[in-house]
Amino acid sequence: MRIPSFIYLYDSGKTESLNLNEISQYLKNIFKKSKIQIRDDIITCYLSNFFFKEREKVIDNLANQMTKIKVREIEIKNTVFEPLQGEIEYEKKRLSESGNKSFGILYDGFELMTILSKLIAKEESDFSYCHIVFTNQLFSTWDEGDLRYHARVSVYGFPSVISTTGIVEAPAKPREFYLKKQLWIDIYTLKEEFRGRFIDYDDLRMTEVMKGYVLQAIFYHITGNPFCKDKNCRLYNAHWQEEVIQAQLNKNSEYCKKHQKIIKQFGTENFKNEYI
Amino acid sequence: MEKKIFSAVGEKEVTRAIVNEFAKQFSEYVESDCLIIGAGPSGLMAGKELAKKKLKVLIVERNNYLGGGFWIGGYLMNKLTVRAPGQEVLSELNIPFEEVSKGLYVADGPHACSKLIAAACDAGVKFANMTVFDDVVLREGNRVVGAVVNWTPVEALPRQITCVDPVALESKIVVDATGHDATVVKKLEERGIVKTVGFGAMWVERSEDLVVEHTGEVHPGLVVCGMSVTTTYGLPRMGPTFGAMLLSGKKAAEIVLQKIK
Repeated sequence: MRIPSFIYLYDSGKTESLNLNEISQYLKNIFKKSKIQIRDDIITCYLSNFFFKEREKVIDNLANQMTKIKVREIEIKNTVFEPLQGEIEYEKKRLSESGNKSFGILYDGFELMTILSKLIAKEESDFSYCHIVFTNQLFSTWDEGDLRYHARVSVYGFPSVISTTGIVEAPAKPREFYLKKQLWIDIYTLKEEFRGRFIDYDDLRMTEVMKGYVLQAIFYHITGNPFCKDKNCRLYNAHWQEEVIQAQLNKNSEYCKKHQKIIKQFGTENFKNEYI
Repeated sequence: MEKKIFSAVGEKEVTRAIVNEFAKQFSEYVESDCLIIGAGPSGLMAGKELAKKKLKVLIVERNNYLGGGFWIGGYLMNKLTVRAPGQEVLSELNIPFEEVSKGLYVADGPHACSKLIAAACDAGVKFANMTVFDDVVLREGNRVVGAVVNWTPVEALPRQITCVDPVALESKIVVDATGHDATVVKKLEERGIVKTVGFGAMWVERSEDLVVEHTGEVHPGLVVCGMSVTTTYGLPRMGPTFGAMLLSGKKAAEIVLQKIK
């Protein structure tokens, strides 16, 4: 087990309902010896390493890479295609304006992680550093089981990437929601009817929910296993919105007994850690 | 002496007036600053904005009527929905609308569409309706410099009795505002010049933003706007809501102005 000495949270820069200060404080109470730092969004951080003239080139290069990891066909893995100039222009705009809230494109999550991993400074590229990137990009991962892409809230690795769009779009809403949608009831009417039963854009519960996902990312970093089978534990790998709400907003207990015990140990002197 | 209501004009004068005026305009607009294919809301909007800036704009429309899908909303019901900030365009055009919920506005289709057509005409846009886009005119580096067009009825007749060659129109820049069909872009695809993606699933909350964001030059000399954008870039389709069409048209006009400065 390796508790990171540094935990860096990268802001998505575009999600008002996400309060990283609150998440940082939450982590400080658990990882008392780790340095928790909130950073700008990862693209802005990376671009700050370059002079103004070089930035345009860097953005061009990144935009090209981002365009190529778009999922064009849900049922075809890693389609290779020559991006259109307009797609590259869109990405350039999205990357160069940190306040740009435009999203709706689906990307390959693991490919996205690979691109972002290259933006991390060499001196921060070992296991004493845990990088957690928030993004409003919607990403998916390929499932060999049913041979299609599935939208995801998070992909864990170096860095771990958590999507504020994914939390809305990836876990399935209640079954009745989709049944009613098939009757052509418009999305806004449905959202009103099912309000509270799923996490929506700019949801006031976003920060509380994301605490669990951040913890999953850190658990992955420390133990290699981010998930728990207990539906009432924050580490539960939820596939339905109702499960997200049950796991993350359960007021009675945040974790299962097993993970509660491990989390308690993180903050104690006798926790064996080769980095601290 | 018997008093007549209308002036004494014979059939030949009526015919001459139609032929001469049409020929004069058509001849003048064989060459334009901007040639827009499709007179739906995005094409009309782009045309209006450009003509207001004193550009010579011709819009080609395959139907007799202008306005595309802007006459009706979803499911053949003639109420249009517009999400904020699209209502600002409705205000600009003096189209009455009501807020039905926070950020969602509804307008009367016929009223909105007729006002938009009138605004385009008032700004100086000229039209070739009942005219169908047939092909692109290309120059060095496959730059688009115009369109090949024909009468719409020619398309509907059997090949063996309609050996009617099309004619070409030249322009500094062409705009594909043909809706879901993305006819102009598709023609480039047929020639192996670009590769479109085809539109994705409906995701109304995000699709409108993406349409506006992706509006722009898809290939040298060709700007794409409106629903053509979704087909070109594989963006999610939207439901019957028109804010993006109006704003996409506006943005297309801005891009055209930048390109032909």
